[in-house]
Amino acid sequence: MRTLRRFLSHWQNWLGLLLVALFVFIAVAAPVLSPHDPKNPGSLKVVGRTVDYRPQPPSQIAPLGTLPGQLSIYHTLVWGTRSAIVFGLAVAAFTAVIGVLIGTTSAYFGGFFNDIMMRITDAFLAFPVIAGVVLIQQIVSITLNNAGAYYSLGGLGGILTTVSGTLVLPEDLPPWLILLQRINPVLIAFILFSWMPYARIMNTVVLRIKQMEYIQAARALGAGHSTVIFRHLIPNAIAPVIVLAARDIGGMVLLQATFTYIGLGGNSLWGMLLVRGRDWVIGPGGNILTYWWVFLPATLALVLFGVGWNLLGDGLNEVLNPRTR
Amino acid sequence: MSPFLRYLINRTLSIPVTLFIITAVLYATVMLTPAETRATLYMPKNVSPRMTEEQYQKMLERAVERYHLNDPYPVQYFYWITNLVQGNWGYSPTLQEDVLTAILRRTPVTAELTLYSILVFIPLGLISGAVAGSRQNQSTDYRFRLTAFIATSLPPFILALILIAIFYVNLHWLAPGQTSSAVSSVVSSDQFRQYTGLLTIDGLLNGRPDISLDALRHLVMPVFTLAIAHWATLGRVTRATMIEELKKEYVVAAKAHGIPGQRIIWRHTLRNAIAPALTSSLLSAASLLTGVFVVEIIFNFHGISVIAVQSMGTIPDAPAAMGFAIYSVIVVLILMGILDLIQAGLDPRIREEA
Repeated sequence: MRTLRRFLSHWQNWLGLLLVALFVFIAVAAPVLSPHDPKNPGSLKVVGRTVDYRPQPPSQIAPLGTLPGQLSIYHTLVWGTRSAIVFGLAVAAFTAVIGVLIGTTSAYFGGFFNDIMMRITDAFLAFPVIAGVVLIQQIVSITLNNAGAYYSLGGLGGILTTVSGTLVLPEDLPPWLILLQRINPVLIAFILFSWMPYARIMNTVVLRIKQMEYIQAARALGAGHSTVIFRHLIPNAIAPVIVLAARDIGGMVLLQATFTYIGLGGNSLWGMLLVRGRDWVIGPGGNILTYWWVFLPATLALVLFGVGWNLLGDGLNEVLNPRTR
Repeated sequence: MSPFLRYLINRTLSIPVTLFIITAVLYATVMLTPAETRATLYMPKNVSPRMTEEQYQKMLERAVERYHLNDPYPVQYFYWITNLVQGNWGYSPTLQEDVLTAILRRTPVTAELTLYSILVFIPLGLISGAVAGSRQNQSTDYRFRLTAFIATSLPPFILALILIAIFYVNLHWLAPGQTSSAVSSVVSSDQFRQYTGLLTIDGLLNGRPDISLDALRHLVMPVFTLAIAHWATLGRVTRATMIEELKKEYVVAAKAHGIPGQRIIWRHTLRNAIAPALTSSLLSAASLLTGVFVVEIIFNFHGISVIAVQSMGTIPDAPAAMGFAIYSVIVVLILMGILDLIQAGLDPRIREEA
């Protein structure tokens, strides 16, 4: 209770909470805020003639204007919020679980095992996410290719090839391949190559608290390894992990949008809005405000999303971290 | 042996271990693909263009046999890593080039961008973090935190577009891309000697300061885009460590002795705060490299990122993806080494500890 009151005593934390709540609300209420086009359901909604290339300013049918091809920005922005939150939470949850398990078990058993696990963690730290994305995309595409699937044209979209190809799948694809094709390779890459900070933090904390008397007492009372790890160690060391996860959500969504923008996949809807509007950002005479609606809504969404989660993370850090308390 | 030297040797020895772990993991991932795909990792530098599909398949089958690609993982890994060490990184069908040659040729461009960004963001991050931390909860601190917040959440590609609109389209001060077309023809001619591969330095060495200036004009926007996010992260960590450091007793003692506040901050607390602050940059060296590649693609720099982008085409290209991954790790390790040296140079405790 005291922690909660402390948390709510700063206006920055209120702002963070408010922003995150706003995005969660939009994500949950997406079908109400912007219903799908019944004839052509999906995250893209055409509100005019597809051949009409010039972006149209905000109007009744498209509250935030349109992109080339008369795509409603509002519609994709709203549904993009849902996919951004799902993506961010999924990455943060999976990386946190992997990191916590690795960090805690290796610290708990300690000694040589711990040395090896931490060497592996450090080695992963030297691996840039972009290389992971390239590699995982490659392996997924090779696997699908062998099963007979192919891209009809182009690649994954992005600024270099604006048209993203459609993946043509053969009829008799085994179920696990269908699943693989549906999972976002960028999601896999992000999870595989960003659990290390969690493991390191957990490791440091658990190494310190496992010597404490209550842990020794639990062991002496006959508690098994898993009971000690899950009932005592993890709950007492989890605070920094929560802080890190909150900060990560914004960062991961931004990175996902960046990868979509440069054409390495990721399926970020916000990123895709910016790819499609890219040629119109710099308007006649170099004025970026002529067609402000092609980039400002999506950019603001990304920035506010990042700021919101970061503020929340900072606020949690202040109340949960004993060093700043 | 001096402690500094021992520290260096210690650090250098950990590099092969990291490389071993990473390559083992990478090869394990490639094990998920069929043997023929793994065989492409061994294809020679120049597969004849007149070769028929059948002949190519035969070649792949021979490679499967020769490099034991149906054997257990350790055997395969051993063959692959020996090949890798010998400099045979395979031939990329999309780049139409030997992977290692393609990467090495593009390295200077990436190196130049990375180098200048580090030179910009580390001093600025440390200084602004120190200033903000020493004035906790004052208006300077709030301004710093707000800027840093926005900087970490600002999409780099949008920042790039805005910079281009202002400084290129409107003001004509800077330019996107790597060089102006006039300069690029000079650079590729025989008269221009490539001493370092870094255009800004080679221009001066060739007695053509105008080329250096042109390269610099093209570097400002990407360097700024890259540096701003990392400046914010480093600044925030420095600020936090400064605040912690300023609470320590030696600061109180120094104040009691009448040492001026500014002197305490710059000569004593910042020096102690540098090590933990730079550690965070060191640990995020990998994300710095990811940032470098992203910025290269946005500003159309033909650095190593070209390999990544090209390999994402429609043809499967395992050698390019693997080469890109391994080389990226090597670059990150070098970056970590550089940051390590800076850290050890600035903080004697690190040198002594090892």
